[in-house]
Amino acid sequence: MSSISIPNRRNAAARPPPVPSSGVSFVLPALLLILAVFILPVVMLLLRSVTEPDPGLQNYRELFESATVARVFVNTFVVSGLVTAIALLIGFPIAWLLVILPKRWADLLFGIVILSMWTNLLARTYAWMVLLQRTGIINKTLMGLGLIDTPLPLVNNLVGVTIGMTYIMLPFIVLPLVTTMRAIEPDLLRAAALCGAGRWEAFRRVLLPLSLPGIAAGGLLTFVMSLGYFVTPSLLGGAGNMMAAELIAQLVQSLLNWGLGGATAFALLVLTLALYAVQLRLLQRGRSQRGG
Amino acid sequence: MTPFLDIQNIKKTYGATVAVQDVTLGIGRGEFVTFLGPSGSGKSTTLYVIAGFLDPTEGDVRIQGQSILSVPSHKRNIGMVFQRYTLFPHLTVAENVAFPLRVRRRPNDEIERKVAEMVRLARLETVRDRLPSQLSGGQQQRVALARALVYDPPVLLMDEPLSALDKKLREEIQYEIRRIHQETGVTILYVTHDQEEALRLSDRIAVFSQGRIDQIGTSAELYQNPATRFVAGFVGNSDFLSCRIDRVEGHSARIVLPDGACVSGVRSHGTVRAGSEGTLMLRPERVRIRNAASNTTPSENGAAGLSVTIRDITFLGDNTHFAVETDWKQPMAIRVPFGRAGAEGLAVGDRARVDWVAEDAHVFAESANG
Ligand SMILES: Nc1ncnc2c1ncn2[C@@H]1O[C@H](COP(=O)(O)OP(=O)(O)OP(=O)(O)O)[C@@H](O)[C@H]1O
Ligand SMILES: [Mg+2]
Repeated sequence: MSSISIPNRRNAAARPPPVPSSGVSFVLPALLLILAVFILPVVMLLLRSVTEPDPGLQNYRELFESATVARVFVNTFVVSGLVTAIALLIGFPIAWLLVILPKRWADLLFGIVILSMWTNLLARTYAWMVLLQRTGIINKTLMGLGLIDTPLPLVNNLVGVTIGMTYIMLPFIVLPLVTTMRAIEPDLLRAAALCGAGRWEAFRRVLLPLSLPGIAAGGLLTFVMSLGYFVTPSLLGGAGNMMAAELIAQLVQSLLNWGLGGATAFALLVLTLALYAVQLRLLQRGRSQRGG
Repeated sequence: MTPFLDIQNIKKTYGATVAVQDVTLGIGRGEFVTFLGPSGSGKSTTLYVIAGFLDPTEGDVRIQGQSILSVPSHKRNIGMVFQRYTLFPHLTVAENVAFPLRVRRRPNDEIERKVAEMVRLARLETVRDRLPSQLSGGQQQRVALARALVYDPPVLLMDEPLSALDKKLREEIQYEIRRIHQETGVTILYVTHDQEEALRLSDRIAVFSQGRIDQIGTSAELYQNPATRFVAGFVGNSDFLSCRIDRVEGHSARIVLPDGACVSGVRSHGTVRAGSEGTLMLRPERVRIRNAASNTTPSENGAAGLSVTIRDITFLGDNTHFAVETDWKQPMAIRVPFGRAGAEGLAVGDRARVDWVAEDAHVFAESANG
């Protein structure tokens, strides 16, 4: 066998270099840049978490034993989950409207959604502070209507964080959903209607399953972004219930505890990546089941 | 007796554009009626009104005397097969066929039984657990057909269901559709712009042109007795020659061709008036051609004719196709069946004589739709 394959191999070597290797040389600068900008800091952080103040894993032991850290992580995952769920509930009908509305109205709605993305993040967050505070419009309106007697605590707690972050994450849900929904043939829903499916059945049996890739993509993006979000939690949240990014910032900036800060950041990164891997697996399985 | 499916005076406008108007048509139970017409002639619009996707500007649609216009699509109990891509991509063949029964919350054993029946009817046994993306175009349309019939709709609508398929497959599925129509007895409204398909499948054909029905009839009626020039051109092959109408008596006219030749006994259609311009229509397979030099005697039994020059001859096996030109430079096509006498020895460039039996000639008024 080998005597046959040798001339073949020589032939192959005589041919011009195959495309893949020249491809690598083209993307090499970009790869190096990614390595320097994204990978290197993470490695340095990891190193600090096992070297400061002394070499060893004591930072990680502290991390796992601390009740505060545990509560911060629970907070982070609960808020991120809530934000993702609520953003999906609000984003799905918005995305569907964007697909079915006449072009003029769809453009207007799309503008509103996108505009919120282009407005300065701090400005948007402060705007929510104004709206949600004890003497803000929302509390005043509710009290004016006689629905409540005392102002609801909507800010400086996780309620405020959830509201503010949901608003900020909405475009990241809507955009992938619109892409997915645009690809759904309109005749498919007409066919469903003639088959006897009313609105609810058509939604449940056709629109929802066919929107799943968009839901998964937008949901994952939102959840992962929420896990590490800093600005909104620190402005709209309270001191008593931090989220992970706030904890890391405090450890590093106020307490100068680079070791524990690094360990916390690394733990968050690992959890995020694990989640990403699981989602990716689920998505791929769904796709291969659908036959690609 | 009122027809089973009664389409009354449908009109649909979009702002200033009229998509369809004056569409009136009664369809008997179990009948196979085809809407035949060019692109944009309003076939789909009419079908969509029946399906409930569009509200007509005017008119009514009744099934067994009951108006269905106020019934939403999902309660109309009408079946429909679309042009393409309307199987649910996330469901298997069997689940696609089961879909209408699932949304109707039928018991599982009934669903299983009916799906098995439909899978057999549409010959899908070997693919019943595949996803739509794993099927050929022809199989996909057979699944769509099974899904549209599984709930026993009284009316089945089909909007160009075969236009995405190649010719051979199309003929195969046309045959399947005919078989299924005969087996189920469902009333079918079928849309196509392919005249051969219409002729092959339908009991009756409604020819659409510019948002109106020009003529409704069996294929033989449309072929032998076209009501308008448009129908004549759309159903079967035809030659058109310009002429002037000399005299009209009932449904018989005398016309004058541009070379001055007089032809009498031509069948007139529509509002043909003496003194006006008209169009003479002949079927290429009803016209005879022979050598001008060899036989100069006038043709027998009232045949009329004219002199032409042969421009092209194509031998097509069972017939020969002559492309000829009249003395006033209008092209004509003539088909001569293999073995018919008279056309031997003709060559390109020759002068020849063509003639036809008077009753095979038709004249229409010149006006756009007339
Ligand atoms: N939404 C709309 N707005 C304006 N005009 C429309 C609209 N839908 C259809 N039309 C017009 O109505 C006419 C009939 O359209 P229809 O789709 O019924 O044609 P069709 O016979 O089905 O043609 P095809 O063979 O191309 O499918 C066309 O001239 C079309 O331009
Ligand atoms: Mg159409």
